[in-house]
Amino acid sequence: MKIIACYSNKGGVGKTATSVNLAYAYAMAGQTVLLCDLDAQGAAGFYFRVKPSKKLTDARFFEDVERFTASIRASDFEGLDVLPANMTFRDFDVFLSRMRNKRSRLKKALVSAGSDYDVIILDCPPNFSTLSENIFKAADQIVVPVIPTTLSERTFDQLVSFFDTKKLPKRKLKAFFSMVQRRKTLHLETMDEMQKLYRKRFLHSSIPFAADVERMGQNRAPVSVFAPRSAASAAYQALYDEIENGVVSSQ
Amino acid sequence: MALVECFFVIPGAFDEAWFSGGLKGLDPRFEDAKPAQGFEILDCHDQSLRASGKVLIESGGTLRLLHAGEPVTQRCKGKGKFAQDLPKGPVRDGLAGFPKLRALMSMGAGQLENRSFAILDDLQKTQVRGSMMTLSSDYGQVSLVAVQPMRGYDRSFQAVCGKFDEMAAGATGTEPLFQALFPNLVVYKAKPQISIGTQEPSIEVATDIIRTYLAVARQNEAGVLADIDTEFLHDYRVSLRRVRSVISLFKGVFSPDQTTALKREFSDLMAPTGRVRDLDVYLLEKDDYFDLIPPNLHEGAKAMFAQFEKERAQALSSLSRRFRTASYDQQMNDLAALFSDHGNLQPGENADRAAYEYACALIWKRYRKVCKLARRITPDTPDDDVHELRIDCKKLRYLMEFFAPLFNAKAFKTIIKPLKKLQDNLGLFNDFSVQQEALLRFVAQQSNNQGRANAQIAMSVGGLIAVLNQRQRTERDRVVANFQHFDSPEIRHLFRSLFHKKEG
Repeated sequence: MKIIACYSNKGGVGKTATSVNLAYAYAMAGQTVLLCDLDAQGAAGFYFRVKPSKKLTDARFFEDVERFTASIRASDFEGLDVLPANMTFRDFDVFLSRMRNKRSRLKKALVSAGSDYDVIILDCPPNFSTLSENIFKAADQIVVPVIPTTLSERTFDQLVSFFDTKKLPKRKLKAFFSMVQRRKTLHLETMDEMQKLYRKRFLHSSIPFAADVERMGQNRAPVSVFAPRSAASAAYQALYDEIENGVVSSQ
Repeated sequence: MALVECFFVIPGAFDEAWFSGGLKGLDPRFEDAKPAQGFEILDCHDQSLRASGKVLIESGGTLRLLHAGEPVTQRCKGKGKFAQDLPKGPVRDGLAGFPKLRALMSMGAGQLENRSFAILDDLQKTQVRGSMMTLSSDYGQVSLVAVQPMRGYDRSFQAVCGKFDEMAAGATGTEPLFQALFPNLVVYKAKPQISIGTQEPSIEVATDIIRTYLAVARQNEAGVLADIDTEFLHDYRVSLRRVRSVISLFKGVFSPDQTTALKREFSDLMAPTGRVRDLDVYLLEKDDYFDLIPPNLHEGAKAMFAQFEKERAQALSSLSRRFRTASYDQQMNDLAALFSDHGNLQPGENADRAAYEYACALIWKRYRKVCKLARRITPDTPDDDVHELRIDCKKLRYLMEFFAPLFNAKAFKTIIKPLKKLQDNLGLFNDFSVQQEALLRFVAQQSNNQGRANAQIAMSVGGLIAVLNQRQRTERDRVVANFQHFDSPEIRHLFRSLFHKKEG
């Protein structure tokens, strides 16, 4: 099982869209995926038309395996389940490590409930907190969308410094440019600079600024479902290929 | 607890509007049906699958086996085939336990439509999914519904299942499917239950049994003609043999003249079936025969079986011709009419004896005879005596089966078990002996005037006879031990208490 965290310490960068489309790409590739909506403001559940679960308001729910598994909802897509938002995660790292441990009660409960997921994708809240620190420790990969603007550049610098200060493994960080507008000189220049500065941190794939991504809110579905031939759909597929297989598409 | 897929059988036309109206806050969407296909329900003549709660549907080159649990499918044809000859797959696995000698045949046909459905909530989120297969025949319609739960939507799943359950109106298992589609399908039973009253006059019992088995024999004629599998002729013969054993074992029930005439008539009826059955048996054992002899003798055996197959085809076509004649049909109808009422028959001295008392007397006498014969058997007893024991065991078994409804079923089961073992043993002893004779006859037939035969055939047959003879010896050596099991104090006591109660 692998854990992919979708994180950004700045809001409105296309983080939730990334979680949703990435989760969909993994499921379409035949893997079983659990998308955890950890961002109370996020809308991962919304995009899959899954209503927030009332059961999950209690902070202690991680101690209660059955309530956890009972809160998981099937999406309309084969192999893709959603854990809706609306909760507090005090011991999320404990929870994640239990999920990895084959002998833990949580893992056994998940297996017996038919949810031995291949991939867990976490849509994280946009802040530095105990939760985010725990997620950084637990995740295998941390996918970070970055809008190529000066402000975003600063935020990414902060994230890298945070990793340095806390002695967290920076190799987990997989940043990519999000909402890219190639017409804007600023975007192109910022991308150029950041790629030089953080040579190892950035993926080659990027996601364009596209109306189709915004239309996800109206359609309440991943881009590839309602606009399968769009540039955005292809971009998310390329992002998946690079994260999963290290394949860089020629686009 | 994870919910599992649920299945429903909904007889009659599916009322989509009623179904949709009953689900609060949920919106069912039925996909347009895929083009209708023809289907056939497959089973064997005695409807083993139906009896075990299964339905096998063949449609468009695919077999679909439905059971209480998950339906399984396999891409292959099944009609006319034996279950064990199907290609490996889930349907073949699901048919494990299907009679080896029975071929799959069509029980009925119709049209089939498949469509899927989704149950959506107010956000158009799918909460329950499923598929529906609607089968229609000239007589009616039935829908088979599979409902799949989706994680986290247990309540909707239960609501949808509840609705289907209401529509199924208590219909469970696969029986409603047969009732809806093929209500007139007669269930064939090779051994039907015949009720007997303890005080019923014996001539009535005999007439009831004969009438029943005449009907069973007739139910097999079509299958013999179509040459579906060898069990049709076998069942036909077993039925007539039962009739003959009633005539010969129920002594004095019919007048001596009528008994003699009936014995002759039924013997004549069975005679033309003997050769086909013998050849069926050889051909069924073909693989075993090849296993008995080394590969270098297989050439001759191949030639022999080719000859058998040719001969069987001829024998079957002459039997079929006979079955198709008006005179045969007339004869069977006349017999059915004769046994339709015991008043048509001439009573003998035992005609009015009460069934229970008569049964006890017949069974007790036959039991004593079996014991007397069996206790005399030593390694030096001639084979003919062993054959005689076999025949008496068979008669005892038939008598017990005919009168079984009058006695305690559990006690009968206890007795029949060791008796059956002894009979199997004696049966094999007899088969090996008959087969050796048949092989010798076959070589004699294949020989020219000087008694010379084809060397390959002669070698194979020689090899077979040697092995069969050894097997016959082995079976023979087992007879004494098997009889001792049957002759245990417990069984003796049971026989005495069931059939030989001292009065007073």
